[in-house]
Amino acid sequence: MFCYNCGCQLSEHDFCTACGADVALYKKIMFASNRFYNEGLEKAGVRDLTGALGSLRQSLKFNKYNIEARNLLGLVYFEMGEVVTALSQWVISKNLRPEKNIADDYIDMIQANASRLESINQTIKKYNQAYAYCKQDSKDLAVIQLKKVLSLNPKFIQAHQLLALLYMESEQWDRAKRELKKCLDIDRNNTLALRYMKEVEFLTAPDESVKAPGAVKRRREESLRYQSDNEIIIQPLDIKERKGSGISTLVNMGIGLVIGLAAMYFLVVPSRVATVRSKMNQDIVALGEQLDAKTVDIQGLEAQVAGLQEERDDLNKELEGYVGTGGTLSTMDNLLTAASVYLETQDPKQTAEDLEGIAETVVIEETSEAFQTLYHTLFGVIGPPLSQAYYTEGMQAYNSRNYEEAIEALSKAALYDESNVEAWYNLGNAYRGAEDTQNAVATYNKLIELFPDTDRARRAQRAIDDMAGAVR
Amino acid sequence: MINFEEELKKFHPSFEVEDAEEAIYNQDLTDAVDLLVKLVQESEEIESME
Repeated sequence: MFCYNCGCQLSEHDFCTACGADVALYKKIMFASNRFYNEGLEKAGVRDLTGALGSLRQSLKFNKYNIEARNLLGLVYFEMGEVVTALSQWVISKNLRPEKNIADDYIDMIQANASRLESINQTIKKYNQAYAYCKQDSKDLAVIQLKKVLSLNPKFIQAHQLLALLYMESEQWDRAKRELKKCLDIDRNNTLALRYMKEVEFLTAPDESVKAPGAVKRRREESLRYQSDNEIIIQPLDIKERKGSGISTLVNMGIGLVIGLAAMYFLVVPSRVATVRSKMNQDIVALGEQLDAKTVDIQGLEAQVAGLQEERDDLNKELEGYVGTGGTLSTMDNLLTAASVYLETQDPKQTAEDLEGIAETVVIEETSEAFQTLYHTLFGVIGPPLSQAYYTEGMQAYNSRNYEEAIEALSKAALYDESNVEAWYNLGNAYRGAEDTQNAVATYNKLIELFPDTDRARRAQRAIDDMAGAVR
Repeated sequence: MINFEEELKKFHPSFEVEDAEEAIYNQDLTDAVDLLVKLVQESEEIESME
Protein backbone atom coordinates (compact mmCIF):
# COMPACT_ATOMS: atom_id res chain seq x y z
CA MET A 1 0.00 0.00 0.00
CA PHE A 2 1.31 3.41 -0.98
CA CYS A 3 0.68 6.90 0.43
CA TYR A 4 -1.94 8.83 -1.49
CA ASN A 5 0.05 12.03 -0.86
CA CYS A 6 3.67 11.14 -1.66
CA GLY A 7 3.45 7.60 -3.06
CA CYS A 8 5.80 6.07 -0.46
CA GLN A 9 5.33 2.56 0.97
CA LEU A 10 3.14 2.76 4.06
CA SER A 11 4.00 1.07 7.35
CA GLU A 12 1.74 -0.22 10.13
CA HIS A 13 1.40 3.34 11.47
CA ASP A 14 -1.59 5.53 10.78
CA PHE A 15 0.61 8.18 9.19
CA CYS A 16 3.05 8.23 6.35
CA THR A 17 6.58 7.88 7.55
CA ALA A 18 7.81 9.90 4.60
CA CYS A 19 5.45 12.89 4.39
CA GLY A 20 3.54 12.60 7.67
CA ALA A 21 0.12 12.54 6.07
CA ASP A 22 -2.73 10.94 8.03
CA VAL A 23 -3.47 7.66 6.27
CA ALA A 24 -5.77 6.01 8.81
CA LEU A 25 -8.91 6.70 6.82
CA TYR A 26 -7.12 5.93 3.58
CA LYS A 27 -6.08 2.53 4.92
CA LYS A 28 -9.67 1.81 5.95
CA ILE A 29 -10.85 2.70 2.47
CA MET A 30 -8.27 0.38 0.93
CA PHE A 31 -9.28 -2.44 3.28
CA ALA A 32 -12.94 -1.89 2.45
CA SER A 33 -12.19 -2.05 -1.25
CA ASN A 34 -10.26 -5.28 -0.81
CA ARG A 35 -13.01 -6.76 1.35
CA PHE A 36 -15.63 -6.06 -1.30
CA TYR A 37 -13.33 -7.54 -3.95
CA ASN A 38 -12.97 -10.74 -1.89
CA GLU A 39 -16.71 -10.87 -1.46
CA GLY A 40 -17.22 -10.39 -5.17
CA LEU A 41 -14.71 -13.11 -5.93
CA GLU A 42 -16.52 -15.55 -3.63
CA LYS A 43 -19.91 -14.75 -5.17
CA ALA A 44 -18.54 -15.12 -8.69
CA GLY A 45 -17.12 -18.48 -7.65
CA VAL A 46 -20.59 -19.79 -6.81
CA ARG A 47 -22.16 -18.18 -9.88
CA ASP A 48 -23.90 -15.44 -7.96
CA LEU A 49 -23.05 -13.02 -10.72
CA THR A 50 -25.52 -10.32 -9.66
CA GLY A 51 -24.10 -10.37 -6.16
CA ALA A 52 -20.52 -10.34 -7.48
CA LEU A 53 -21.41 -7.41 -9.70
CA GLY A 54 -22.64 -5.39 -6.69
CA SER A 55 -19.60 -6.22 -4.54
CA LEU A 56 -17.08 -5.46 -7.28
CA ARG A 57 -18.74 -2.16 -8.10
CA GLN A 58 -18.56 -1.27 -4.42
CA SER A 59 -14.93 -2.26 -4.35
CA LEU A 60 -14.18 0.08 -7.25
CA LYS A 61 -16.13 2.89 -5.62
CA PHE A 62 -13.65 2.71 -2.78
CA ASN A 63 -10.58 2.25 -4.91
CA LYS A 64 -10.70 2.71 -8.65
CA TYR A 65 -7.12 1.41 -8.88
CA ASN A 66 -8.17 -2.01 -7.63
CA ILE A 67 -7.20 -3.63 -10.94
CA GLU A 68 -8.10 -7.18 -9.91
CA ALA A 69 -11.62 -6.03 -8.95
CA ARG A 70 -12.01 -4.21 -12.25
CA ASN A 71 -10.76 -7.16 -14.31
CA LEU A 72 -13.09 -9.51 -12.43
CA LEU A 73 -15.97 -7.09 -12.99
CA GLY A 74 -15.21 -7.27 -16.72
CA LEU A 75 -15.22 -11.06 -16.57
CA VAL A 76 -18.58 -11.10 -14.77
CA TYR A 77 -20.06 -8.76 -17.39
CA PHE A 78 -18.63 -10.99 -20.14
CA GLU A 79 -20.20 -14.05 -18.53
CA MET A 80 -23.55 -12.28 -18.46
CA GLY A 81 -23.28 -11.58 -22.19
CA GLU A 82 -22.55 -7.84 -21.78
CA VAL A 83 -19.43 -7.99 -23.95
CA VAL A 84 -19.04 -4.29 -24.67
CA THR A 85 -19.38 -3.34 -21.00
CA ALA A 86 -16.79 -6.00 -20.14
CA LEU A 87 -14.48 -4.62 -22.82
CA SER A 88 -14.91 -1.11 -21.40
CA GLN A 89 -13.82 -2.27 -17.94
CA TRP A 90 -10.76 -4.03 -19.33
CA VAL A 91 -9.76 -0.99 -21.40
CA ILE A 92 -10.00 1.24 -18.30
CA SER A 93 -8.01 -1.34 -16.35
CA LYS A 94 -5.35 -1.38 -19.06
CA ASN A 95 -5.15 2.42 -18.96
CA LEU A 96 -4.78 2.49 -15.21
CA ARG A 97 -2.10 -0.21 -15.23
CA PRO A 98 -0.48 -0.56 -18.66
CA GLU A 99 2.07 -3.21 -17.59
CA LYS A 100 1.55 -6.74 -16.26
CA ASN A 101 -2.21 -6.60 -16.62
CA ILE A 102 -4.27 -9.67 -17.53
CA ALA A 103 -6.83 -7.34 -19.14
CA ASP A 104 -4.40 -7.27 -22.06
CA ASP A 105 -5.09 -10.93 -22.73
CA TYR A 106 -8.84 -10.46 -22.46
CA ILE A 107 -8.82 -7.54 -24.90
CA ASP A 108 -6.59 -9.45 -27.32
CA MET A 109 -8.85 -12.48 -27.07
CA ILE A 110 -11.80 -10.44 -28.32
CA GLN A 111 -10.02 -8.17 -30.79
CA ALA A 112 -7.84 -10.88 -32.36
CA ASN A 113 -10.86 -12.57 -33.92
CA ALA A 114 -12.58 -9.96 -36.07
CA SER A 115 -15.36 -12.29 -37.15
CA ARG A 116 -16.16 -13.15 -33.54
CA LEU A 117 -16.25 -9.46 -32.62
CA GLU A 118 -18.58 -8.84 -35.56
CA SER A 119 -20.76 -11.75 -34.45
CA ILE A 120 -20.93 -10.31 -30.93
CA ASN A 121 -21.88 -6.92 -32.30
CA GLN A 122 -24.59 -8.45 -34.49
CA THR A 123 -25.98 -10.23 -31.44
CA ILE A 124 -26.17 -6.97 -29.51
CA LYS A 125 -27.81 -5.20 -32.46
CA LYS A 126 -30.40 -7.97 -32.71
CA TYR A 127 -31.11 -7.71 -28.99
CA ASN A 128 -31.59 -3.95 -29.30
CA GLN A 129 -33.88 -4.56 -32.27
CA ALA A 130 -35.90 -7.03 -30.21
CA TYR A 131 -36.13 -4.46 -27.43
CA ALA A 132 -37.40 -1.92 -29.96
CA TYR A 133 -39.99 -4.46 -31.20
CA CYS A 134 -41.19 -4.88 -27.61
CA LYS A 135 -41.65 -1.16 -27.28
CA GLN A 136 -43.58 -1.13 -30.57
CA ASP A 137 -45.76 -3.96 -29.26
CA SER A 138 -44.48 -6.35 -31.97
CA LYS A 139 -44.04 -9.17 -29.52
CA ASP A 140 -43.91 -12.02 -32.04
CA LEU A 141 -41.08 -10.37 -33.92
CA ALA A 142 -39.31 -9.69 -30.64
CA VAL A 143 -39.55 -13.37 -29.68
CA ILE A 144 -38.10 -14.45 -33.04
CA GLN A 145 -35.29 -11.93 -32.75
CA LEU A 146 -34.48 -12.95 -29.17
CA LYS A 147 -34.34 -16.61 -30.15
CA LYS A 148 -31.74 -15.69 -32.78
CA VAL A 149 -29.80 -13.69 -30.20
CA LEU A 150 -29.73 -16.58 -27.77
CA SER A 151 -28.70 -19.05 -30.45
CA LEU A 152 -25.66 -16.83 -31.07
CA ASN A 153 -24.96 -15.92 -27.45
CA PRO A 154 -26.66 -18.33 -25.02
CA LYS A 155 -25.24 -16.48 -21.99
CA PHE A 156 -26.98 -13.20 -22.69
CA ILE A 157 -28.85 -12.78 -19.39
CA GLN A 158 -30.89 -9.76 -20.46
CA ALA A 159 -32.09 -11.58 -23.57
CA HIS A 160 -33.22 -14.58 -21.47
CA GLN A 161 -35.05 -12.26 -19.09
CA LEU A 162 -36.77 -10.34 -21.87
CA LEU A 163 -37.76 -13.54 -23.67
CA ALA A 164 -39.14 -14.95 -20.42
CA LEU A 165 -41.14 -11.76 -19.90
CA LEU A 166 -42.56 -12.05 -23.43
CA TYR A 167 -43.52 -15.69 -22.84
CA MET A 168 -45.17 -14.71 -19.58
CA GLU A 169 -47.08 -11.98 -21.35
CA SER A 170 -48.38 -14.53 -23.84
CA GLU A 171 -49.03 -17.00 -20.98
CA GLN A 172 -46.56 -19.58 -22.28
CA TRP A 173 -45.57 -20.47 -18.77
CA ASP A 174 -43.46 -23.54 -19.54
CA ARG A 175 -41.34 -21.67 -22.02
CA ALA A 176 -40.98 -18.73 -19.67
CA LYS A 177 -39.93 -21.12 -16.93
CA ARG A 178 -37.38 -22.74 -19.21
CA GLU A 179 -35.82 -19.39 -20.09
CA LEU A 180 -35.72 -18.35 -16.47
CA LYS A 181 -34.08 -21.61 -15.56
CA LYS A 182 -31.38 -21.04 -18.18
CA CYS A 183 -30.93 -17.55 -16.84
CA LEU A 184 -30.56 -18.85 -13.28
CA ASP A 185 -28.11 -21.51 -14.44
CA ILE A 186 -25.81 -18.67 -15.50
CA ASP A 187 -26.59 -16.31 -12.62
CA ARG A 188 -28.05 -18.13 -9.62
CA ASN A 189 -29.14 -15.09 -7.69
CA ASN A 190 -30.43 -12.98 -10.53
CA THR A 191 -33.07 -10.97 -8.73
CA LEU A 192 -35.26 -10.29 -11.73
CA ALA A 193 -35.18 -13.91 -12.89
CA LEU A 194 -36.01 -15.12 -9.38
CA ARG A 195 -38.94 -12.76 -9.16
CA TYR A 196 -40.27 -13.85 -12.55
CA MET A 197 -39.79 -17.50 -11.59
CA LYS A 198 -41.78 -16.98 -8.43
CA GLU A 199 -44.54 -15.32 -10.42
CA VAL A 200 -44.58 -18.13 -12.98
CA GLU A 201 -44.70 -20.82 -10.31
CA PHE A 202 -47.49 -19.01 -8.55
CA LEU A 203 -49.53 -18.70 -11.72
CA THR A 204 -48.94 -22.24 -12.96
CA ALA A 205 -49.77 -24.07 -9.76
CA PRO A 206 -52.55 -22.10 -7.98
CA ASP A 207 -54.94 -25.09 -7.78
CA GLU A 208 -52.43 -27.66 -6.71
CA SER A 209 -51.51 -25.53 -3.73
CA VAL A 210 -55.07 -25.55 -2.42
CA LYS A 211 -55.79 -29.15 -3.18
CA ALA A 212 -55.13 -31.92 -0.73
CA PRO A 213 -51.61 -33.34 -1.03
CA GLY A 214 -53.07 -36.81 -1.69
CA ALA A 215 -55.09 -35.58 -4.65
CA VAL A 216 -52.09 -33.90 -6.16
CA LYS A 217 -50.04 -37.01 -5.68
CA ARG A 218 -52.75 -39.17 -7.27
CA ARG A 219 -53.01 -36.81 -10.20
CA ARG A 220 -49.28 -36.94 -10.72
CA GLU A 221 -49.37 -40.72 -10.55
CA GLU A 222 -52.00 -40.80 -13.30
CA SER A 223 -49.55 -39.48 -15.79
CA LEU A 224 -45.95 -39.98 -16.71
CA ARG A 225 -43.93 -36.82 -17.32
CA TYR A 226 -40.60 -36.68 -19.05
CA GLN A 227 -38.64 -34.14 -21.04
CA SER A 228 -37.60 -34.72 -24.65
CA ASP A 229 -35.27 -32.00 -25.91
CA ASN A 230 -37.16 -28.80 -25.20
CA GLU A 231 -40.63 -30.34 -24.90
CA ILE A 232 -42.23 -31.82 -21.76
CA ILE A 233 -44.11 -34.99 -22.67
CA ILE A 234 -47.08 -35.96 -20.46
CA GLN A 235 -48.24 -39.50 -21.07
CA PRO A 236 -51.42 -40.73 -19.34
CA LEU A 237 -50.95 -44.06 -17.60
CA ASP A 238 -54.51 -45.35 -17.55
CA ILE A 239 -54.92 -45.76 -21.29
CA LYS A 240 -54.75 -49.39 -22.30
CA GLU A 241 -54.16 -50.71 -25.74
CA ARG A 242 -57.19 -52.29 -27.33
CA LYS A 243 -57.33 -55.97 -28.07
CA GLY A 244 -56.94 -57.22 -31.58
CA SER A 245 -54.47 -54.50 -32.23
CA GLY A 246 -52.47 -56.86 -34.49
CA ILE A 247 -55.16 -56.90 -37.19
CA SER A 248 -55.79 -53.20 -36.86
CA THR A 249 -52.08 -52.60 -37.15
CA LEU A 250 -52.02 -54.55 -40.41
CA VAL A 251 -55.10 -52.69 -41.65
CA ASN A 252 -53.49 -49.39 -40.69
CA MET A 253 -50.31 -50.39 -42.46
CA GLY A 254 -52.34 -51.27 -45.55
CA ILE A 255 -54.15 -47.94 -45.44
CA GLY A 256 -50.84 -46.18 -44.95
CA LEU A 257 -49.41 -48.05 -47.93
CA VAL A 258 -52.40 -47.09 -50.11
CA ILE A 259 -52.15 -43.47 -49.01
CA GLY A 260 -48.44 -43.56 -49.73
CA LEU A 261 -49.00 -44.98 -53.21
CA ALA A 262 -51.77 -42.47 -53.87
CA ALA A 263 -49.54 -39.65 -52.74
CA MET A 264 -46.83 -40.94 -55.00
CA TYR A 265 -49.25 -41.20 -57.91
CA PHE A 266 -50.73 -37.74 -57.40
CA LEU A 267 -47.61 -35.89 -56.28
CA VAL A 268 -44.48 -37.65 -57.42
CA VAL A 269 -45.60 -39.03 -60.80
CA PRO A 270 -46.98 -35.71 -62.15
CA SER A 271 -43.82 -34.02 -61.02
CA ARG A 272 -41.71 -36.65 -62.76
CA VAL A 273 -43.86 -36.44 -65.91
CA ALA A 274 -43.54 -32.67 -65.87
CA THR A 275 -39.79 -33.01 -65.52
CA VAL A 276 -39.59 -35.44 -68.46
CA ARG A 277 -41.85 -33.19 -70.55
CA SER A 278 -39.76 -30.21 -69.72
CA LYS A 279 -36.64 -32.11 -70.74
CA MET A 280 -38.30 -33.21 -73.99
CA ASN A 281 -39.41 -29.67 -74.72
CA GLN A 282 -35.89 -28.48 -74.16
CA ASP A 283 -34.60 -31.18 -76.53
CA ILE A 284 -37.20 -30.21 -79.14
CA VAL A 285 -36.25 -26.57 -78.84
CA ALA A 286 -32.59 -27.51 -79.21
CA LEU A 287 -33.34 -29.66 -82.27
CA GLY A 288 -35.47 -26.87 -83.73
CA GLU A 289 -32.58 -24.48 -83.31
CA GLN A 290 -30.24 -26.95 -85.00
CA LEU A 291 -32.77 -27.41 -87.82
CA ASP A 292 -33.06 -23.64 -88.29
CA ALA A 293 -29.29 -23.36 -88.44
CA LYS A 294 -29.11 -26.16 -91.05
CA THR A 295 -31.91 -24.54 -93.08
CA VAL A 296 -30.02 -21.28 -93.10
CA ASP A 297 -26.90 -23.15 -94.24
CA ILE A 298 -28.86 -24.89 -97.00
CA GLN A 299 -30.35 -21.60 -98.17
CA GLY A 300 -26.90 -20.11 -98.26
CA LEU A 301 -25.55 -23.04 -100.26
CA GLU A 302 -28.52 -22.91 -102.65
CA ALA A 303 -27.90 -19.22 -103.25
CA GLN A 304 -24.24 -20.05 -103.84
CA VAL A 305 -25.21 -22.79 -106.34
CA ALA A 306 -27.58 -20.42 -108.16
CA GLY A 307 -24.83 -17.81 -108.34
CA LEU A 308 -22.37 -20.36 -109.67
CA GLN A 309 -24.89 -21.60 -112.25
CA GLU A 310 -25.47 -18.02 -113.40
CA GLU A 311 -21.74 -17.47 -113.60
CA ARG A 312 -21.39 -20.71 -115.57
CA ASP A 313 -24.12 -19.61 -118.02
CA ASP A 314 -22.41 -16.26 -118.47
CA LEU A 315 -19.13 -18.00 -119.11
CA ASN A 316 -20.82 -20.38 -121.57
CA LYS A 317 -22.33 -17.42 -123.39
CA GLU A 318 -18.96 -15.73 -123.43
CA LEU A 319 -17.39 -18.94 -124.74
CA GLU A 320 -20.13 -19.24 -127.30
CA GLY A 321 -19.32 -15.68 -128.35
CA TYR A 322 -15.77 -16.82 -128.98
CA VAL A 323 -16.28 -20.26 -130.51
CA GLY A 324 -19.91 -20.29 -131.84
CA THR A 325 -21.14 -19.80 -135.36
CA GLY A 326 -21.12 -16.01 -135.09
CA GLY A 327 -18.38 -16.07 -132.50
CA THR A 328 -15.26 -14.02 -132.52
CA LEU A 329 -12.98 -16.96 -133.25
CA SER A 330 -15.28 -18.16 -136.07
CA THR A 331 -15.54 -14.65 -137.55
CA MET A 332 -11.81 -14.20 -137.29
CA ASP A 333 -11.37 -17.56 -138.97
CA ASN A 334 -13.77 -16.53 -141.79
CA LEU A 335 -11.91 -13.26 -142.29
CA LEU A 336 -8.56 -15.04 -142.45
CA THR A 337 -10.04 -17.58 -144.90
CA ALA A 338 -11.38 -14.74 -147.10
CA ALA A 339 -7.94 -13.06 -147.09
CA SER A 340 -6.23 -16.38 -147.90
CA VAL A 341 -8.65 -17.07 -150.77
CA TYR A 342 -8.08 -13.60 -152.22
CA LEU A 343 -4.31 -13.98 -152.05
CA GLU A 344 -4.54 -17.36 -153.83
CA THR A 345 -7.20 -16.65 -156.48
CA GLN A 346 -7.20 -12.82 -156.79
CA ASP A 347 -10.98 -13.21 -157.25
CA PRO A 348 -12.54 -10.03 -155.87
CA LYS A 349 -16.11 -11.27 -156.24
CA GLN A 350 -15.52 -14.37 -154.14
CA THR A 351 -13.70 -12.28 -151.54
CA ALA A 352 -16.52 -9.74 -151.57
CA GLU A 353 -19.05 -12.50 -150.94
CA ASP A 354 -16.94 -13.76 -148.04
CA LEU A 355 -16.68 -10.27 -146.57
CA GLU A 356 -20.43 -9.71 -146.96
CA GLY A 357 -21.02 -13.01 -145.19
CA ILE A 358 -18.81 -11.80 -142.33
CA ALA A 359 -20.61 -8.44 -142.18
CA GLU A 360 -23.94 -10.25 -141.85
CA THR A 361 -22.81 -12.29 -138.80
CA VAL A 362 -21.06 -9.54 -136.78
CA VAL A 363 -21.21 -5.80 -136.36
CA ILE A 364 -17.84 -4.75 -137.73
CA GLU A 365 -17.63 -1.69 -135.43
CA GLU A 366 -17.89 -3.95 -132.33
CA THR A 367 -14.99 -6.22 -133.35
CA SER A 368 -11.38 -5.76 -132.31
CA GLU A 369 -9.18 -3.03 -133.81
CA ALA A 370 -6.96 -5.58 -135.59
CA PHE A 371 -10.03 -7.30 -137.04
CA GLN A 372 -11.44 -4.00 -138.31
CA THR A 373 -8.05 -3.03 -139.82
CA LEU A 374 -7.74 -6.34 -141.68
CA TYR A 375 -11.37 -6.20 -142.80
CA HIS A 376 -11.10 -2.63 -144.16
CA THR A 377 -7.68 -3.30 -145.74
CA LEU A 378 -9.04 -6.34 -147.55
CA PHE A 379 -12.10 -4.41 -148.53
CA GLY A 380 -9.91 -1.55 -149.81
CA VAL A 381 -7.80 -3.97 -151.84
CA ILE A 382 -10.71 -5.72 -153.55
CA GLY A 383 -12.89 -2.56 -153.77
CA PRO A 384 -11.59 -0.86 -156.98
CA PRO A 385 -11.31 -3.97 -159.19
CA LEU A 386 -14.64 -5.21 -157.95
CA SER A 387 -16.20 -1.80 -158.50
CA GLN A 388 -14.77 -1.79 -162.02
CA ALA A 389 -16.19 -5.27 -162.69
CA TYR A 390 -19.64 -4.25 -161.47
CA TYR A 391 -19.37 -1.00 -163.45
CA THR A 392 -18.68 -2.91 -166.68
CA GLU A 393 -21.59 -5.26 -165.96
CA GLY A 394 -23.84 -2.30 -165.13
CA MET A 395 -22.92 -0.34 -168.26
CA GLN A 396 -23.67 -3.36 -170.46
CA ALA A 397 -27.12 -3.59 -168.91
CA TYR A 398 -27.57 0.21 -169.19
CA ASN A 399 -26.62 0.22 -172.85
CA SER A 400 -29.14 -2.54 -173.52
CA ARG A 401 -31.65 -0.36 -171.59
CA ASN A 402 -32.02 -2.97 -168.87
CA TYR A 403 -32.13 -0.35 -166.15
CA GLU A 404 -32.98 -2.63 -163.22
CA GLU A 405 -29.89 -4.79 -163.68
CA ALA A 406 -27.90 -1.69 -164.41
CA ILE A 407 -29.08 -0.08 -161.11
CA GLU A 408 -28.14 -3.24 -159.14
CA ALA A 409 -24.67 -3.54 -160.69
CA LEU A 410 -23.88 0.17 -160.64
CA SER A 411 -25.02 0.40 -157.00
CA LYS A 412 -22.46 -2.28 -156.10
CA ALA A 413 -19.83 -0.50 -158.17
CA ALA A 414 -20.45 2.75 -156.23
CA LEU A 415 -20.57 0.85 -152.96
CA TYR A 416 -17.26 -0.96 -153.45
CA ASP A 417 -15.43 2.16 -154.63
CA GLU A 418 -16.93 5.49 -153.62
CA SER A 419 -14.36 7.29 -155.74
CA ASN A 420 -15.74 5.72 -158.90
CA VAL A 421 -17.41 8.91 -160.20
CA GLU A 422 -18.55 7.27 -163.41
CA ALA A 423 -20.39 4.60 -161.43
CA TRP A 424 -22.26 7.32 -159.47
CA TYR A 425 -23.10 9.34 -162.60
CA ASN A 426 -24.37 6.35 -164.61
CA LEU A 427 -26.27 5.05 -161.57
CA GLY A 428 -28.10 8.38 -161.55
CA ASN A 429 -28.68 8.03 -165.30
CA ALA A 430 -29.99 4.46 -164.80
CA TYR A 431 -32.49 5.71 -162.16
CA ARG A 432 -33.45 8.47 -164.56
CA GLY A 433 -33.87 5.91 -167.35
CA ALA A 434 -36.02 3.77 -165.04
CA GLU A 435 -37.99 6.96 -164.29
CA ASP A 436 -37.12 6.76 -160.63
CA THR A 437 -36.69 10.49 -160.28
CA GLN A 438 -36.36 10.53 -156.51
CA ASN A 439 -33.41 8.09 -156.40
CA ALA A 440 -31.95 9.69 -159.52
CA VAL A 441 -31.91 13.14 -157.80
CA ALA A 442 -30.53 11.60 -154.57
CA THR A 443 -27.73 9.88 -156.54
CA TYR A 444 -26.87 13.03 -158.47
CA ASN A 445 -26.80 15.05 -155.22
CA LYS A 446 -24.50 12.43 -153.64
CA LEU A 447 -22.20 12.79 -156.70
CA ILE A 448 -22.23 16.61 -156.40
CA GLU A 449 -21.41 16.24 -152.68
CA LEU A 450 -18.55 13.76 -153.27
CA PHE A 451 -17.06 15.37 -156.39
CA PRO A 452 -17.90 19.09 -156.35
CA ASP A 453 -16.65 21.42 -159.10
CA THR A 454 -16.11 18.56 -161.58
CA ASP A 455 -17.50 18.11 -165.04
CA ARG A 456 -19.62 15.19 -163.81
CA ALA A 457 -21.00 17.33 -161.00
CA ARG A 458 -22.06 20.05 -163.39
CA ARG A 459 -23.67 17.42 -165.66
CA ALA A 460 -25.47 15.91 -162.72
CA GLN A 461 -26.75 19.37 -161.74
CA ARG A 462 -27.98 19.92 -165.27
CA ALA A 463 -29.71 16.55 -165.23
CA ILE A 464 -31.43 17.52 -161.96
CA ASP A 465 -32.46 20.82 -163.47
CA ASP A 466 -33.78 19.10 -166.59
CA MET A 467 -35.85 16.70 -164.50
CA ALA A 468 -37.17 19.60 -162.47
CA GLY A 469 -38.09 21.48 -165.66
CA ALA A 470 -39.78 18.41 -167.09
CA VAL A 471 -41.83 18.05 -163.94
CA ARG A 472 -42.92 21.71 -164.11
CA MET B 1 -49.12 -9.91 -11.01
CA ILE B 2 -46.41 -8.70 -13.32
CA ASN B 3 -47.20 -5.69 -15.52
CA PHE B 4 -45.45 -6.11 -18.85
CA GLU B 5 -45.16 -2.41 -19.60
CA GLU B 6 -43.71 -1.65 -16.20
CA GLU B 7 -41.29 -4.54 -16.41
CA LEU B 8 -40.17 -3.50 -19.87
CA LYS B 9 -39.01 -0.17 -18.44
CA LYS B 10 -36.44 -2.08 -16.37
CA PHE B 11 -34.73 -3.27 -19.54
CA HIS B 12 -32.46 -1.07 -21.56
CA PRO B 13 -30.61 -1.37 -24.87
CA SER B 14 -27.23 -3.04 -24.65
CA PHE B 15 -24.05 -1.18 -25.62
CA GLU B 16 -22.92 -1.90 -29.17
CA VAL B 17 -19.25 -2.09 -30.12
CA GLU B 18 -19.48 1.35 -31.73
CA ASP B 19 -20.65 2.73 -28.38
CA ALA B 20 -17.69 1.30 -26.44
CA GLU B 21 -15.64 4.50 -26.62
CA GLU B 22 -18.54 6.57 -25.35
CA ALA B 23 -19.17 4.05 -22.56
CA ILE B 24 -15.53 4.30 -21.43
CA TYR B 25 -15.48 8.10 -21.46
CA ASN B 26 -18.77 8.29 -19.58
CA GLN B 27 -17.54 6.10 -16.74
CA ASP B 28 -17.53 7.97 -13.45
CA LEU B 29 -14.17 6.96 -12.04
CA THR B 30 -14.35 9.06 -8.91
CA ASP B 31 -13.65 6.87 -5.89
CA ALA B 32 -13.55 7.33 -2.12
CA VAL B 33 -9.81 8.06 -2.20
CA ASP B 34 -10.42 10.98 -4.57
CA LEU B 35 -12.97 12.37 -2.14
CA LEU B 36 -10.58 11.87 0.75
CA VAL B 37 -7.77 13.70 -1.02
CA LYS B 38 -10.12 16.49 -1.93
CA LEU B 39 -11.32 16.81 1.66
CA VAL B 40 -7.76 16.86 2.95
CA GLN B 41 -6.77 19.51 0.42
CA GLU B 42 -9.75 21.68 1.34
CA SER B 43 -9.09 21.37 5.06
CA GLU B 44 -5.44 22.28 4.46
CA GLU B 45 -6.51 25.33 2.45
CA ILE B 46 -8.87 26.43 5.24
CA GLU B 47 -6.10 25.99 7.81
CA SER B 48 -3.66 28.01 5.73
CA MET B 49 -6.23 30.79 5.28
CA GLU B 50 -6.77 30.95 9.02
